[in-house]
Amino acid sequence: MQERVNALRQRAAQELESASTTEEVEAVRRKYLGRKGELTQLLRSLPQLPPQERVAAGAALNELKEWLEQRLRERAEQLRARERDRRLRAEAVDVTLPGRRPPVGREHVLGRMMEEIRDIFRSMGFEVVEGPELETEEFNFRRLNIPDDHPARDAQDSFYLDDEHLLRTQCTAVDVRVMPRRTPPIRVVTVGRCYRRDVVDSTHMPVFHQVDGFMVGEGVRFSDLKGVLAEFARQLWGPETRVRFQPSYFPFTEPSAEIAVSFRGRWLEIGGCGMFHPRVLEMAGIDPERYTAFAFGCGVDRPAMVRYGIDDIRLFWENDVRFLAQF
Amino acid sequence: MRVSWSWLMELVDLPTPQDPAEWEERFPMLGLGVEAVERVGDDWVFDLETTTNRPDWLGMLGVAREVAAACRGRLRPPQVHLEESDPPAAEVAWVEVADPRLCHRYVGRVVVDVRVGPSPAWMADRLERCGIRSINNVVDVTNYVMLETGQPLHAFDLDRLVGGGVVVRAARPGEVLVTLDGQERRLHPGALVIADRERVVALGGIMGGLDTEIRPETRRVLLESAWFHPVAVRRTARALGMRTEGSTRHERGGDPERARFAAARAAQLIQELAGGRVLRGELDVYPEPQPPRRVSLRPARLRRVLGVEVPDDEAADILQRLEFQVERGPERWVVTVPSHRRDVEREEDLIEEVARIYGYDRVPETLPVEVMGVGAVAPEVDAERRIRQLLLRAGLTEVLTLSLVRADDLERVGIPPDHPLRRAIPLRNPLTQEHTHLRTTLLPSLVEVLRTNRARGNGDVHVFEVGRVFQASEAGWEERKAVGIAQMGRSLRGTWNLPQEAVQASFHSLKGVVEGLLEALHLQGWEIRAEPLPWLHPYRAAGLWVDGRRVGWLGELHPEVCERYDLRGRAYVAELELAPLVEAARAIPQYRPLAYTPAVERDLAVVVDSSVLAGEVVRVVREVAGGLLEACEPFDVYAGPPIPPGRKSVAVRMRFRDPARTLQSEEVDRLLDRVRAALQDRLAASFR
Repeated sequence: MQERVNALRQRAAQELESASTTEEVEAVRRKYLGRKGELTQLLRSLPQLPPQERVAAGAALNELKEWLEQRLRERAEQLRARERDRRLRAEAVDVTLPGRRPPVGREHVLGRMMEEIRDIFRSMGFEVVEGPELETEEFNFRRLNIPDDHPARDAQDSFYLDDEHLLRTQCTAVDVRVMPRRTPPIRVVTVGRCYRRDVVDSTHMPVFHQVDGFMVGEGVRFSDLKGVLAEFARQLWGPETRVRFQPSYFPFTEPSAEIAVSFRGRWLEIGGCGMFHPRVLEMAGIDPERYTAFAFGCGVDRPAMVRYGIDDIRLFWENDVRFLAQF
Repeated sequence: MRVSWSWLMELVDLPTPQDPAEWEERFPMLGLGVEAVERVGDDWVFDLETTTNRPDWLGMLGVAREVAAACRGRLRPPQVHLEESDPPAAEVAWVEVADPRLCHRYVGRVVVDVRVGPSPAWMADRLERCGIRSINNVVDVTNYVMLETGQPLHAFDLDRLVGGGVVVRAARPGEVLVTLDGQERRLHPGALVIADRERVVALGGIMGGLDTEIRPETRRVLLESAWFHPVAVRRTARALGMRTEGSTRHERGGDPERARFAAARAAQLIQELAGGRVLRGELDVYPEPQPPRRVSLRPARLRRVLGVEVPDDEAADILQRLEFQVERGPERWVVTVPSHRRDVEREEDLIEEVARIYGYDRVPETLPVEVMGVGAVAPEVDAERRIRQLLLRAGLTEVLTLSLVRADDLERVGIPPDHPLRRAIPLRNPLTQEHTHLRTTLLPSLVEVLRTNRARGNGDVHVFEVGRVFQASEAGWEERKAVGIAQMGRSLRGTWNLPQEAVQASFHSLKGVVEGLLEALHLQGWEIRAEPLPWLHPYRAAGLWVDGRRVGWLGELHPEVCERYDLRGRAYVAELELAPLVEAARAIPQYRPLAYTPAVERDLAVVVDSSVLAGEVVRVVREVAGGLLEACEPFDVYAGPPIPPGRKSVAVRMRFRDPARTLQSEEVDRLLDRVRAALQDRLAASFR
């Protein structure tokens, strides 16, 4: 009996080895372990054996059965893996072909800088507002203490629509629109387009952007203006940035200053600021004895040129997609 | 203002010698911007940028006064000792101010027996260093004293003045003057002029006339040192398109008090350099002398406004160094303003003076003690930000275009003459033909972006802009915000093996962007329906409607417009009003419970006449399928065999669901029967 078991084991092993598909493995299983399989029949014939052989034969056959079942599983698994691999190999991709890239929208570099500026002032407790670009002389000039005969009123510098309307020349007009509608303390900032009658060249455009803000309160000081703008500058230009304030003149602030920031080893003039002139507060219905206010206005376009190393302001407006994709 | 360092040092006594190299940094800290610094021999020339409120800085003495104050030194003005001769000036010449609104003070001096010739080298050098060409000794003196004092002067050849004198008046209609530069100037009525008995001889404060100029043979000189009204000078100069050293100074408003000094100083120098005799007395018309201004200052407020503890003594000292007189009281000081500082009108001006000399850099950086509130963003600003972000996420790149356009841009882009979008607001004073009107739509600018890129070989452009548009209407001028979109070429990169129609911009890729935006904003009740527009392909155009109002349009750019802009292909454009989107974006979306019961999906191929739109099929399905229909979307449109000619198949996928229970197949079948019957009935549909 042991010989028959050995022979059977050897034969089954060979057949399994030569089976090359899971179907052929199944055929081997049926041949030995199926209802009429060779091993099944041998097991079925056990009771006919003499009792003294029966125990040993039974043990040998059961051991063979377990061995064969395990080998069948292993072989089937092995072949399944091989087949799966063959199937997947046929699906191989060329990883060097370019990826399918869904479009990635890019902010305009000025749009991005203006968003940053809004975020910084918002984080400092300012309210971000907007005002019209089509302005009246009243808000663009008179409420800013710029009298009718002031040089800044020169039609040479502003785009007029009629005697009273013009395209705003600075965003400070928004300040004096907002002020009468609120009670102090007020902290407001606006970012937007302004217009000036400039001939187009590498540093001038008739349309440009400004950030303009102000703060009114009972104890607002010139030193606060320095502090807030220094903080703004460090947020935008980096923590090492130094800020320089130099005396200047604007009809709507007193004292007035020009602001410059240190960037890559040089001073970059970014705008003007000062304490709102008492006349401006009066015209906005705010008592200048009780309240003081600071105000500032900074350019966006030229500082952006320096920040991003752009040498021609016209690039902002051409919208060459190769330019836009760089930011 | 070009300032010679050596000249400047002659006008001050300083406790310690100053290094000019350091003053490139120090001038700006006083408010004098340094445009440029130049070494000329052993001298330094600073090109200073002066602010319009400081006419005194347009003279060496004004700058010297500032340097003296900053260095705790003293001003050393030139001393004038005139030797006057008879007869009195008033006997040989006369001066009259016909319109005191034009001229507050006119000082005349007469110098006779002069010998006109070249100036000495030192004066010619100094003038040249300061940017003025040497002419002759008399004219050079007027310029030199102008540079020294800031007071513009003019010298007339007295013998060529008809009637031997001058009158300040407004020009009369038709008057003409040939100015020193040889130009014939037609004067507008009201222009500020100086005239003799017969004719105009100079433009007051701007430029003299050729006929009365100082010539080699001139013997008798009438010197003019006047305070003309800044506005009168500016208007006259602008009207004539002129800008001179004199007009710049007069426009800022000088110091009437200094007019006398400047006239005497010039007379003395002429006498020194050109010989001659200064006649006794001056011709001084000064009907209303201004008393010195007195301004009060509270040192406590000074400290409160600046946020720095400037001691009383230091504040008073600073003001006195600047030649203000200070009478100190317990809380309130009375400060008398010197005549050369007419810009100082109220307390804040004095505070600035103290801060300026004290040093802006010595003011600390503080943060407001005011309770710091939380920042906020106005709703429309916030909504615009969200809309920008959504469009960026849709893969569009943001552009910024000028709000000023050419007059014919609107026509070029295909907007017909009678269309409301042609009601562009014109600029009254455009600078170039490129920018004459405010844009009524973003369309021309965006098509221009496509053109620029196409011309440079960038064929794939997918951009948007959120910007303002302006329009004239019955109600006046409107300013509103709009969202514009423009697309051409591939929207995807890495498109090997992909069918072109899946990759190229198309009407439906554009529509998808718009739909995506509206959905993300939860805008309700919108509809996109076919609508021909003159600038769009007539059969690939649509309007966007929200609650019965048209708020935008989208479609393929008209092939003729594409050709006009040389786009060499198809382009897709859209424009939406921002306001309805802003409103929608402000709403807080409300949760709707999720359904967990299984859905039943059914497809139906509906064969209809070719003219029937997919949207009509969907609308009929929606109307009759009842509340259990969750979604219905076309997924295939096909024409060709075996569909009969003139008809097409629109396959729609419907999803049914009852959130409360599991739907039975038979129920859905019954609904589908109703759908089929309705489609058959209303759209003459058959089914595949």
